[in-house]
Amino acid sequence: MNKKNGNLKLALTGTHMILIYVMVIFCVVAAIRQPAFLSPATIINLSRAAIFTMCFAICEMVVIISGGIDVSFPAVGCVAMYVPLWLYNHDMGVDSVYFFFGVAILVGIVFGILNGILVSIMKLPPLIATLATSSVAAGGLIMILGTREYTTLPDSLEALYEINLLTYVDPTTGFSYPLTILVLVPIILCIVVALVMRYTMLGRGIYAIGGDKNAARIAGFNVRKLQFVAYIFCAVMASATAMIYVTLMHSSTTTALMGEEMIIIAACVVGGCRLTGGHGGVGGTILGVVLITLVQNNLNMLGVPTCWQTFAVGLVLLLGAVLSSVQAKRISDMGKV
Amino acid sequence: MRTKIKHLFSDTHLLTIWGIFVITLLIMAILKPADYFTFMNVKSIIYQFPEYGILAFGMMACMVAGGIDLSLVGIMNFTGVIAALIVKNMAGTEVTGSTYLIIAFACIVAVVLGGLCGAFNGFIIGYFKIPAMLVTLCGLQLYTGLAYGITGGPAINGMVDPFKNIANGTIGEIPYVLFIFIIVLCIVAFVMKCTVLGNEIYFMGSNASAAKYSGMNILKITVITHMFSGILGGVSGILITSHLNSGKSSNGTTYTLLTLLIAVLGGVHPDGGKGRVIGVCTATILLQFIANAFGLLHMDDNAKTFANGCLLVAALLFDVYLDRKAEKRARIKAAAENENS
Amino acid sequence: MSDEIFLKLEGIRKSFGGVHALQGVDLEIRKGEVHCLAGENGCGKSTLIKAISGVHEPDEGKIWIDGEEVKNMKPMDAINRGIQVIYQDFAVFPNLSVAENIALNGELKSKAKFVNWKSVRKIALEAMDQIGANIDPDIKLERLSVANKQMVAICRAIINDAKLLILDEPTTALTAREVEKLWDIIRSLKAKGIAIMIVNHKLDEIYQIADRLTILRNGKYISSGDIHAYDQVRFTQDMTGHDVVETKYSPAQSNEEVLRVENLGRKGAFSGVSFTLNKGDVLGITGLLGSGRGEIGEALFGLAPADEGEIYLNGKKIEIGSVNDAMKNEIGYVPEDRLTQGLFMERSILDNTIAASIKKYMKRGKLDGAGMEGDTERWVKEIGIKTPSIKPPVRTLSGGNAQKVVIAKWLNTHPKLFILDGPTVGVDVGAKSEIHAILHDLANKGIGIIIISDDLVELVKNCNKIVIMKDGKCSGIIDNSIDEVSLGKLLIGAGGEANE
Repeated sequence: MNKKNGNLKLALTGTHMILIYVMVIFCVVAAIRQPAFLSPATIINLSRAAIFTMCFAICEMVVIISGGIDVSFPAVGCVAMYVPLWLYNHDMGVDSVYFFFGVAILVGIVFGILNGILVSIMKLPPLIATLATSSVAAGGLIMILGTREYTTLPDSLEALYEINLLTYVDPTTGFSYPLTILVLVPIILCIVVALVMRYTMLGRGIYAIGGDKNAARIAGFNVRKLQFVAYIFCAVMASATAMIYVTLMHSSTTTALMGEEMIIIAACVVGGCRLTGGHGGVGGTILGVVLITLVQNNLNMLGVPTCWQTFAVGLVLLLGAVLSSVQAKRISDMGKV
Repeated sequence: MRTKIKHLFSDTHLLTIWGIFVITLLIMAILKPADYFTFMNVKSIIYQFPEYGILAFGMMACMVAGGIDLSLVGIMNFTGVIAALIVKNMAGTEVTGSTYLIIAFACIVAVVLGGLCGAFNGFIIGYFKIPAMLVTLCGLQLYTGLAYGITGGPAINGMVDPFKNIANGTIGEIPYVLFIFIIVLCIVAFVMKCTVLGNEIYFMGSNASAAKYSGMNILKITVITHMFSGILGGVSGILITSHLNSGKSSNGTTYTLLTLLIAVLGGVHPDGGKGRVIGVCTATILLQFIANAFGLLHMDDNAKTFANGCLLVAALLFDVYLDRKAEKRARIKAAAENENS
Repeated sequence: MSDEIFLKLEGIRKSFGGVHALQGVDLEIRKGEVHCLAGENGCGKSTLIKAISGVHEPDEGKIWIDGEEVKNMKPMDAINRGIQVIYQDFAVFPNLSVAENIALNGELKSKAKFVNWKSVRKIALEAMDQIGANIDPDIKLERLSVANKQMVAICRAIINDAKLLILDEPTTALTAREVEKLWDIIRSLKAKGIAIMIVNHKLDEIYQIADRLTILRNGKYISSGDIHAYDQVRFTQDMTGHDVVETKYSPAQSNEEVLRVENLGRKGAFSGVSFTLNKGDVLGITGLLGSGRGEIGEALFGLAPADEGEIYLNGKKIEIGSVNDAMKNEIGYVPEDRLTQGLFMERSILDNTIAASIKKYMKRGKLDGAGMEGDTERWVKEIGIKTPSIKPPVRTLSGGNAQKVVIAKWLNTHPKLFILDGPTVGVDVGAKSEIHAILHDLANKGIGIIIISDDLVELVKNCNKIVIMKDGKCSGIIDNSIDEVSLGKLLIGAGGEANE
């Protein structure tokens, strides 16, 4: 009986619930200040804004759970979004969605393998190894292919852009808010990753190496292979996401994604991933991403001037980090069973 | 003879950096001797490196302590913006008797603010026991956000000339900044090598638990280390604002990676406890020489980023190789001793 | 117990880069017996376990399992033949649930690609049922106590048709009650015909559980036989290679008080502890795990300060609320875990020696390097640290020499009170007696020495006063006129279990 109460209390004050409370409070305050917040348009805008963040966060989550960290995905994503269009514009490609995404994924595989080699074979600290990959990717890209911005999409991508799941027309203003079909990508990705992490030995292996590498080795996991899988998955999905970015934003530059890594890592941590590895899951990461997207895109509704939003986001992240550390401490202080 | 080689072996890392340095100079001696080895060129090199060299010392102190400081660029821009605001609003554009006092005041405020930002980082890290990487990542966002919020977006330009001269002026033919860099270098070297604090930083970085059991106050050392790093960020903030004559939240954003690279290339161990000031100093100058060479060869700035990344990997791999070799040596030596006994 | 042999080793040799870890070891384990492997630290026990479990391949020698000779054994081969090892750190996953920790290895072995959570739970509950463990299968392992983590590790081992279970020092982190429970489990496994090998070097525990015994020393096989063939004299002789020396420490009587502790206590850890330590005394504090023996040391050094009671050092009342206070009052403390708490492994002997006293080298705004070197060299000579110079990192030193460096670190602060928690854990016999000699010498110079230890032989031989802790209370203070066996009985305390 007592135990049940304890567990209920834990569930109600857990990291996930606190995130939900914060989001609810945020929405209520925003709705009071700006009744327009409660329109379906907000949801459509939010989901559009969250597509990339969500995909990147899931990639990063897998790496963090495996006990590593990957700060190279923005640079790898830039390479992956730039190379296919460069090839196409130099008459070396075909105008097909498969070609663009195929090349992007190939780029991802190459850099994923590079990260894997540096981290799992050379045993370099993941932060530094992926930083190095990041500068090699970003620098090498521009050095070889030059800087240009491609703003006209090839027809196949344009066609992809035109497919909408539904369109909401605001009855008062007459603006229409289309919801792109690409919003399905993060949804499917979340479901697949959640299933893989929970129901396959691959997923459990990634949790296991994040928990204790040595124990995983003794149990018979192939630690090296699992690390490779995590880094390659991260780079590949980041590359595919970068192509989605090109499609939706109509722009492919060599620096479009740079600087994203901080926010993404923070979203994972706020959502319950521990940087030491082994903890976290898709559910928490979704909450973390939604919270951060909500804050990033709707701070003005709370009356925060635009120029202070970077600061506000930083504050939210810091609070999230402190909160999750206090939570972890509370659980470890709860006494041993 | 053997002991001599052994002695050299103990600092192969420094030797490697010097080796790369010599190779760079040799290549340039072949390719562009007339442009590279001129006083003007050396002068332009000197103008460049102090601002991030000083940041690299901050990064080094935190990494030696077993952490990392990714917020340095944020601190640099935040303090730079504050200094620029003070100078602009209080000193106007005319040079009067009080101008120098105001500039001195602005510099002091910048340094103190930098120290406070760093201390805040250190407190959160030490008190809540959150990884330094995460805290300083948030710190970067926070301080950049503060700078952005205060300026409201546009850069603060047009400071009075004496302020501009801090980073652009010369004594005779030698830029002021070289002296500033040397003074900072001496202070950092003194603190790290000759003070109790410096030694405690090394001890904490080697084994925080053993440091605690040896009577050191881990929280205090963490706070002071990050404060020290923040102060250096403040100094660098003054320099970059003066150098560009503009206070902005997005100056020098590539410096985070660059300082990390310098620290690791300079022999600072990513796990903490190891790293020499002389190594970091050499790596700073080396990178500016390489950057300058790339400039003279009309190569893209990004070629530099690429080369830096490759250098970082190469330096780390070389370290791993040396570690493994040293390990093997130790094992063979232990075996030999065992045989004797 | 049958006479059928499950595992047989003959002439196993293994060396690492010239270090001979095993030099011809024989071992025979019968089905359904509890076999104890004993030996001092560094005798090759862990290498032998790794050879049996296929982690290390021996350079020479033969291994038979179930009568069949096995060559080129890999870890998976050993597991498939029913050999399961439970390491000291259990090799469990703190971030996974209890059920998953138990079932994961089996799933891996079956090469399944997917996880069936229902069967995971079922397997876990069945395994726990078998050994009578009762742990919530859904909670994360990081929330379990050491004893329950060990249960989980045992459950995990037995679900895979274990025929031989090897436990590496299973009792070091258990309380007396938990040890009893472990013995119960081991007896029930034995009744199922599973052979069990326990690595242990505490004679009293070996007597409680083992059927047969094998002793190793310096990588060599010394003797083997029925447990009843060993009395204490033979056991010690075979373990150490020395006869039992019956000299005990007895200082000159003195009434000069160094330390007096009155009614010291910390909520939830210990309470009402009082003792005095006179000049020349070496005070031992002992007790089972969880009795509060270590906590007294931590309280005196300010790591976990006491919240009641009084401490008098050299007649003066002192307050210790933090490590800093302890340092100001010139108290030194050697922690139990030398590797992670005592030493900076990568740093030089010099650095380690001055680590606790660095502040005194601050002269005219600068650290005095020559002074540090001089002091370190003096200590190296004085307490006999065997090293060519003071420059090499501490990790190159042997256990005994490394421990001497920790001692040197504190001697360099010139402490008035010196507390040592487990001063000779993992130290070889020679260095052990040298360390004891140093401590006696210090005591005679008027420094208060407190040894906290569970090594009863060490206490009886080297302390002239022993404080016995039980359930957080001081259950008696005795002199060293008794032997370790009766001291061991005092620790458990007749009828003591009833009080809990």
